[in-house]
Amino acid sequence: MKRAAWYLAAGAVAGFAGVLGLHGRTAPAEPRAAGGAPGRTQPSPSAPSSPSGTGPAAGSSPGRATAGGGTHSVTGALEQFGYGELAVRVTVTGSRITNVTVPAIQTAEPFSRQLSEQAIPLLRSQVLTADSASINGVSGATFTSEAYATSLQAALDKLHLK
Amino acid sequence: MSAPAVRPGQALPVGRRRGRRAPARPRVPVPRPAAARIALLAAGAGLGAATALTFTAETASQLRTPGGPATFAGSLTGMTGTYLALMMVLLVSRIPVIERVLGQDGLLRWHRRLAPWPISLLVAHAVFITVGYAQAARSGLWHEAGVLLTRYPYVLIATIGLGIMCLIGVISIRAIRGRLSRETWWLVHLYMYLALALSFAHVIVLGPSFVGHPLTRAVWSLAWAGTAGLVLAYRFGLPVVRSLRHRLVVAEVRPEGPGVVSVICSGRRLDELPVAGGQFMLWRFLTRGSWWQAHPYSLSALPQPPYLRLTVKAVGGHSASLASLRPGTPVMVEGPYGAFTRHAQVRPGAVLVAAGIGVTALRSLLEDLPRKSAPVVLLRASRPADLVLGQEVSDLVRHRRGQLHTLVGDREQAGIDERSLRQLVPDLRRRDVYVCGPEGFVAGIVDLVKRLGVPDEAIHHEAFAL
Repeated sequence: MKRAAWYLAAGAVAGFAGVLGLHGRTAPAEPRAAGGAPGRTQPSPSAPSSPSGTGPAAGSSPGRATAGGGTHSVTGALEQFGYGELAVRVTVTGSRITNVTVPAIQTAEPFSRQLSEQAIPLLRSQVLTADSASINGVSGATFTSEAYATSLQAALDKLHLK
Repeated sequence: MSAPAVRPGQALPVGRRRGRRAPARPRVPVPRPAAARIALLAAGAGLGAATALTFTAETASQLRTPGGPATFAGSLTGMTGTYLALMMVLLVSRIPVIERVLGQDGLLRWHRRLAPWPISLLVAHAVFITVGYAQAARSGLWHEAGVLLTRYPYVLIATIGLGIMCLIGVISIRAIRGRLSRETWWLVHLYMYLALALSFAHVIVLGPSFVGHPLTRAVWSLAWAGTAGLVLAYRFGLPVVRSLRHRLVVAEVRPEGPGVVSVICSGRRLDELPVAGGQFMLWRFLTRGSWWQAHPYSLSALPQPPYLRLTVKAVGGHSASLASLRPGTPVMVEGPYGAFTRHAQVRPGAVLVAAGIGVTALRSLLEDLPRKSAPVVLLRASRPADLVLGQEVSDLVRHRRGQLHTLVGDREQAGIDERSLRQLVPDLRRRDVYVCGPEGFVAGIVDLVKRLGVPDEAIHHEAFAL
């Protein structure tokens, strides 16, 4: 019986080390995005992370951004929602919203992340259609929608838009 | 069903087979301890891997979020609990290579000892996850429980599964189990398979180690499918195939002593049944009342084609009903099972100890021992009438140049203690000890011989749970 415990323990150590080893080899360091937590940030599947603005005002200096002045990108505040937090990055060309991405999203558990990730492309197209943060949101992902809209509005506020 | 050509009473000169050997019986697969060791290593590796998977799905920043620690504890308990539940199923799946080494008895002991762990871990899992998610969502515990049950896919049915598991856990607690009949308990126990099936989907769909990890998802699903396959093959397929091959029917029921009957079955191709003396089978007598339940009873003799004999004492509803079996009743069997055989022997000699109806396994084991093995046999009974099969045992012992000691009376007068054992078996250090009987008796003898210096690997036992 004692020997059995040793075999079990030896197997357990081997299994544990084996999985961690495999994981270490197959999973390279995950990309880190601004404002996101390491290892948990997930770019929105809807669009590649857009480069910072081509105009004079990059997202880091939203104060000078004004309507009608080239292309600007800015990231809104990290918003808490029921199951995690997210931040929205908006790109504005002239006075038009040309792209929205989610550089940082973090959820308590994978199911919420899945839901959010399903919702984010829909939210993005709503924003691009409405050209504002006044969107209906996605039903079934109410919290995510609210956080998305709030963070977006914060970003737009930084650009002194709308 | 036509009557057998030879009357079974005459055809079963059990214990008096001498001179011409019966036709060679099939080689009984010899137990390979290495198989059990490999299985142990694999079981440990799986546990380690399942634990590691929860770590790989976790990051430090996640732990720092509200509810992070509780959620992590939830996935850790969930993974380990589910893995142990899988082991519980494997322990009773009757995989022959492992069964041969550890014996049904040993496997069931592990199963029983392990049982509280998966259930409490899974309960902890449910609690931790609810707490963690409630903290993350900044909502109340009950509200969050409601959200989990209604919004999250498969959580409701998994919770029902957990409820079934807990119910089965509660009725398996010794004090409560004692009040239920074996039949009821067994039938309720079957619902465990349902409970496990119900919980499977939510693991795959929601588990942090599986979402977005197709490989772990596939491995995990394969492990469960494989386990289900093993259960189906060895608990269902093999018994059906064996039963169809041998076509056993009851030939005769013969009283052996107070409350004890021998059931003699006849069947085809019994010379092909790979059985060793000391093993038992699960018997299912296809009568209207009891076709749905299979019970373990020892073979009380090696098969003598076309006959197979089991000897049973009436202690429960099923064993009592055997006395009224009619000849011609079809019988289905599972097995033979058990590591209580001569193949387990590690020393040159053997001492065989049995109490009460434990004599049945001892009787067939004795028959399997070689001619000059000179076994010492100790039979313990409270009354002389309880020494069933006494004449057969005595013949077999004489034939093997052994010694038979019967200890009849109450425990004070005729119990087996250190003094009597030393006196009756002076060369104990050269012998393996085989003990068979009720649980309490077996435990007592095992303790005693361990104290006298017999190592674990030379002690073999088969206990009857009443």
